[in-house]
Amino acid sequence: MIVFWILALVLIASAVFTVTAQKPVYSVVGLLANFIALAAMYLTLQAEFLAVMQIVVYSGAILILFVFVIALLSSGTRPFEVGPDKAPRILIPALAIAVLTLAGLTVTALHTPITVVSTATTNGTTGDANAFGSVANFGAALFTTNLLPFEVTAFILMVAVIGVVLIAGDATPGAVEGRRKKRRPGVREPIVKALRQAQDDNG
Amino acid sequence: MTVSPESYVALSAVLFFIGVVGVIARRNPLIMLMSIELLFNAANLALVAYARAWVNNTGHVFAFLVITVAAAEAAIGLAIVTMTFRRSAHVDVDEVSALRG
Amino acid sequence: MLLLLIWLFPLVGGVLLWAFGPQLRSWAGPIGSALIGVPFVAAVMLWGDATTGAGLNLHLVSWLSGWAFGLQLDRLSLVWTLIITGVGFLIHVYSMGYMDGDRAYARFFAYMNFFVFAMLTLVLSDNVVGLLVGWGLVGLASYFLIGFWFERPSAVAAARKAFVMNVVGDVGIMFAVFIIVAKVGSIGYADIFARFATAFTQQELFLVCLGLFIGCAAKSAQIPLHTWLPDAMEGPTPVSALIHAATMVTAGVYLIARFAPLWSASADAQELVGVIGALTAIAGAILGCAQWDIKRILAYSTMSQIGYMIMGVGVGAYDAGVFHFLTHAFFKAQLFLGAGIVIHALANEQDVRRMGGLWRRLPFAFIAMAVGVLAICGIPGFSGYFSKDAVIYGALVTGHPWLYAVGVITAGITAYYMFRLLFVTFLGAYRGEVDPSDLGIRHPELAGTAASSGHHPEEEEPHHHAPSWLMSVPVGILIVPSILIGWLDAGGANAPWQRFFAGFFPRVAEVAPPLGELASTGLVLTVVAIGIGVAYVRYGTRAAHADAVARLRGETIHMPRALVNAYYFDAAYDALLVRPARAVGAWFVRVFDPHVLDAAVREVAISAQWLGHLFRSFQTGLVRAYALSLAFGVACVVAYYAFAFGVGR
Repeated sequence: MIVFWILALVLIASAVFTVTAQKPVYSVVGLLANFIALAAMYLTLQAEFLAVMQIVVYSGAILILFVFVIALLSSGTRPFEVGPDKAPRILIPALAIAVLTLAGLTVTALHTPITVVSTATTNGTTGDANAFGSVANFGAALFTTNLLPFEVTAFILMVAVIGVVLIAGDATPGAVEGRRKKRRPGVREPIVKALRQAQDDNG
Repeated sequence: MTVSPESYVALSAVLFFIGVVGVIARRNPLIMLMSIELLFNAANLALVAYARAWVNNTGHVFAFLVITVAAAEAAIGLAIVTMTFRRSAHVDVDEVSALRG
Repeated sequence: MLLLLIWLFPLVGGVLLWAFGPQLRSWAGPIGSALIGVPFVAAVMLWGDATTGAGLNLHLVSWLSGWAFGLQLDRLSLVWTLIITGVGFLIHVYSMGYMDGDRAYARFFAYMNFFVFAMLTLVLSDNVVGLLVGWGLVGLASYFLIGFWFERPSAVAAARKAFVMNVVGDVGIMFAVFIIVAKVGSIGYADIFARFATAFTQQELFLVCLGLFIGCAAKSAQIPLHTWLPDAMEGPTPVSALIHAATMVTAGVYLIARFAPLWSASADAQELVGVIGALTAIAGAILGCAQWDIKRILAYSTMSQIGYMIMGVGVGAYDAGVFHFLTHAFFKAQLFLGAGIVIHALANEQDVRRMGGLWRRLPFAFIAMAVGVLAICGIPGFSGYFSKDAVIYGALVTGHPWLYAVGVITAGITAYYMFRLLFVTFLGAYRGEVDPSDLGIRHPELAGTAASSGHHPEEEEPHHHAPSWLMSVPVGILIVPSILIGWLDAGGANAPWQRFFAGFFPRVAEVAPPLGELASTGLVLTVVAIGIGVAYVRYGTRAAHADAVARLRGETIHMPRALVNAYYFDAAYDALLVRPARAVGAWFVRVFDPHVLDAAVREVAISAQWLGHLFRSFQTGLVRAYALSLAFGVACVVAYYAFAFGVGR
């Protein structure tokens, strides 16, 4: 009980910090805290494997990706700049809609009584190899009953990889089709220069 | 499970709320993407809570798939962000308005 | 098989000449004529089969039950078929001379063959739908041939007028066919006549007859649908002879005779047809007195004579009406062909005021015309005497004394204007060199002449033609039946004609006539003699010839306007139909089209534009705005679940 409230507090606080932070790096830190707290929350829900995945995939992979991109964009010639606000009053409807959503979700959740099933009656206790939420239990569900979604997800990942290569692989238009055009200066060079500079700084 | 699943779901709703506000209100694309990650996590929390309540690990499986999709989304989103803001002076989604009618 | 040959040979000719006309060149005429002549021979060979019992039937194709199409050659069809192919053949031969040198020589014969095919479809069909098809095709052929010289605006206008009027009639027949199909359930004549008595109420029967008669009136130029016939003289003269005198315009007579059982069952319809026929007869005859164009005089006389026929079949004297058709086909064709010789010889001069004294130059034409005139006037011995007398007396016998009186008076007027034509054209001195204004010809179009527009487009220099033997021989052949054919009906009930049609037509109740047949004939002849006498006094005497120019001038100037304008029928149609239609059209152009139709289209476009602007405003290009709308959608879904499962419970 106490654990839940502490974690809930941490989750909300870190989320608010993530959203309101001035610099993206601060946001990343807030998000990290959020992810770790969420992993702990998963543990309270007997989702051990998911807790591990949360740390490994989110904190380990996705957040690192964010950090890399931040480094890539902000290092070098240009600092982050924010242009003129083209929709200054968008916060008002945004807040209204978000509040509505929140209210709706909460109301629905609180009005829908859920009978909690005890895990003890089904499969052993926490820590057992075959207990609910354990790796074996999860794996069996993933590879038997939900094999098709799993395969589809694999396909989505592949598409994402190809998409990323296409989008960010070569900035020159037409390069994918094999037509080598004259390289335009200023598209790639600043980044390369910035990377070299960063190497130099480190070295 | 001492805490009722309703509490978890309510927490999830709050996190979702924060994420929505972040996506709409912030103009930094990186922070918007992170807010989207928040949304994913909020949904995941609800999935896992219900999975626990009914002792049905399909919720776990789908939370896992959501994580996977989130990874893919982050990869694509960040690739777009890098691509777009290589040439622009501002890191601001309002600058990317080629879709304006 | 022979029947099929009769029917299809002209079609083959039409298609052949139409498709290969330029290659056939001068062969087009002989081929076209042969393809009409062969069916004539075939029809003669079928005489025996056609006159026994119900005649010859040839089933062609069945569609639905009650929709059997076939050919039928009974006694009535046989008469028409013989006239169509026989007189048609002679006119084809004549055309070879008349149309010689015309640029569209082959096209002319293609149209003529097509017309014969259409007419044969009309008379040989054994069902009402086939009849209607033939009816429409005949109108089409007529349209083609009236507008044959389509370089002339007047010919085109006349063709259009004829076609529109004919379509009015087609619609009438169509409605009659609708009623027949709905009530009888069959289109075959045999079924209709077998069942109509039980299938129709008296009102329906009258409506059917009325619909059919509207068709007759349009095709046979009966009042009030007659105005196209005089204008139809824009076509080549052989066309006027074949279509607008001998065959097509008598299709109405055929129709009524064909549906004689229906007419006999409906007294109202008979009354209507008889009155209209008589009215047309006298109106056409009076108009014939006021015309100066040789072909228009003949056209009005055709209208008047068809009025006789319609009156005859209308009052129930079917065999008399059909007999008048038979004789009329010969003598009217002959009159037209004789007029054609005159016109041809005078390089397309059609105004009789500019003729005169032609009997010396064109003696053959004079004889031919004279025989025709004598026949049409009903001079004893000539064919018209027998048939017209039968019609007029038929009206009396069937109990229509007023129609009889009209018929007698019309006979006198007919004699007057036909002899006037003959005297003015052939006697006296030639007036072709006289200045037209001295003859009172000021406004050719008002005076009803086509003189100014009478030139063939391809004949820039008018030159005089001598009639070729191709033109003389058919006219010479026609003289024989013009005189002799009438004798078929001589001899009372034992006459060949009476035996031919014995038992074919329903008998009509006869009343005891107040006059004997001989007395009636005497009365008619007296009236005719008066007519001839008046014509002689006015145009035939030596004194009249001496100052013919001044007399014709005076007569032209003092001609009653009502007659010159043909009782203002055209003006009335113009005022009643054309102008209102134009006014409605103008209103549509001015008000309806721009303010309703265009406005609707415009409003649709404006609405689309407005919607486009509206939706465009959503496309801000701001990613955050898109996210906002996404969030709104999510909120909507959440709200639904909140109400469905949360608050609502």
